[in-house]
Amino acid sequence: MLSRSRLLKSLRSYTALIAAPLALAIAGAIPAHAGALMLGTYPDKLFTVDDASGAITDKIKLEAGLPVSLRLSDDRKKIYATTITTSGMVVLDAATRKILTEFSLNTPTERYRFQGGVPDPTGRYFYTVMQRFDKLSDRYTVSKLQYTVIDLVQKKIVRTVDMEPQDDALPGGYRASLMISPDGKTLYMFKNKILVIDVATMKVVDRIDLQKADAAGYEDVQLGGGVEGLQLTHPGELVSLFTASDPFVHNKIFGLGRFDLTARKFTFTPIGPITNQISGLEITPDGKYAYTTATNGATGNKRCEFWKFDLASLKLTDKEEFHCRSRYTLGMSADGAKIYIYGASYDIEVYDAATLKYEKTWDLGADATMAGMVALR
Amino acid sequence: MKHLKPLNAKARRIDADLASLEEDVVALQQAPRPHVPLGCSLSFSPGWEVDASGGTAGLCQPVERDIYDCYVTCFWPVQMADHVNYSADWASNCAAATKDWRSLDIVFP
Repeated sequence: MLSRSRLLKSLRSYTALIAAPLALAIAGAIPAHAGALMLGTYPDKLFTVDDASGAITDKIKLEAGLPVSLRLSDDRKKIYATTITTSGMVVLDAATRKILTEFSLNTPTERYRFQGGVPDPTGRYFYTVMQRFDKLSDRYTVSKLQYTVIDLVQKKIVRTVDMEPQDDALPGGYRASLMISPDGKTLYMFKNKILVIDVATMKVVDRIDLQKADAAGYEDVQLGGGVEGLQLTHPGELVSLFTASDPFVHNKIFGLGRFDLTARKFTFTPIGPITNQISGLEITPDGKYAYTTATNGATGNKRCEFWKFDLASLKLTDKEEFHCRSRYTLGMSADGAKIYIYGASYDIEVYDAATLKYEKTWDLGADATMAGMVALR
Repeated sequence: MKHLKPLNAKARRIDADLASLEEDVVALQQAPRPHVPLGCSLSFSPGWEVDASGGTAGLCQPVERDIYDCYVTCFWPVQMADHVNYSADWASNCAAATKDWRSLDIVFP
């Protein structure tokens, strides 16, 4: 017969034997995060990274070369990447991360330059702005900037329309962000003005001057946050930071702007005085909170902070200083629980979105390209 | 204003200056910016690695962190290989420039 102490010890061991695998099973079945990140890396790959462990789960080699833009379709089913090496287009399935389509536009005598673009809602066409360079026997010819339609089934350019000089003169070039309306009939190009382009003709049908947009009342209005600063809260609405000046004493301010992609209406909500620079905007999947980074000072006096906004009240609710790189990009996990600082390096710094505190650094072993980061669920 | 004719040297210079805007010769600072052939040969900004203030204190630390994005954007064209024309394979054996820059290819211009 077992003594009482031996019996208790046996029970504890038995409980431990059951509890340990059970805890592991629960931990495995319900991970803290259930998503992945995809980002472009040098020299010619797309990495997918488990957003719980930081482990690299896929290294997808691109025959088309170095990825310079990444975009998730609005239904989150496909990923569109463009490459600079051969002016390539790559379409991947977001669930399996398998390449569905990959081709290059360059030929020995024709080259193209473009950054990113936007797919139409059917996924058949990809809209972008590019320049074409033709190598002739005695010279190169350089095209104007062109609105371009790429057929992803025929794997070729099917339509180009030259950009008008007045639109070409606006800063941004072929790097300006593009968005498409939910019905796929209207393309928007975000420069100092919003160019409204009819997809049927690829002609600009309207130019929305942000200085004269509804409820603005400001001068020198600029959409902030760079390419990654335009965020869709749902397919019909775009949220962006903006900077502006009041027209009387010219104090610079920043705020949040919302653009209705169907009604073509802008609304601006000023929040406060501007710092040196505000870059990036990430919005949680529930649409409640937004994060950006603000930079004050330069070189040795440079200080960076995360800023957290409540999107319901449009108030700045939290700030936290973080160790900033000379150049960086802001990212967010698919569930909105973590925010990332990456770019100009081979690593990703992970911060908790609730506390804005640093947690850890993931070493990818390869430099990230400027393609940005896509969070996959 | 075609009925106006320049009568003195200064007016003729103004006239010539305005006429030059219609030609296919544009300054790099002029808007819309000139469209030049693809590559780093005609990129001058800034030529070598300096920060926004013209110094070096604001550069990436170490500078190898910044090499690759300069490689594809021609931002540092004096020292950098030209990705789009001549040296697409320059970084093919080196995924992280800070860690294994010795594996970068050697370019002979």
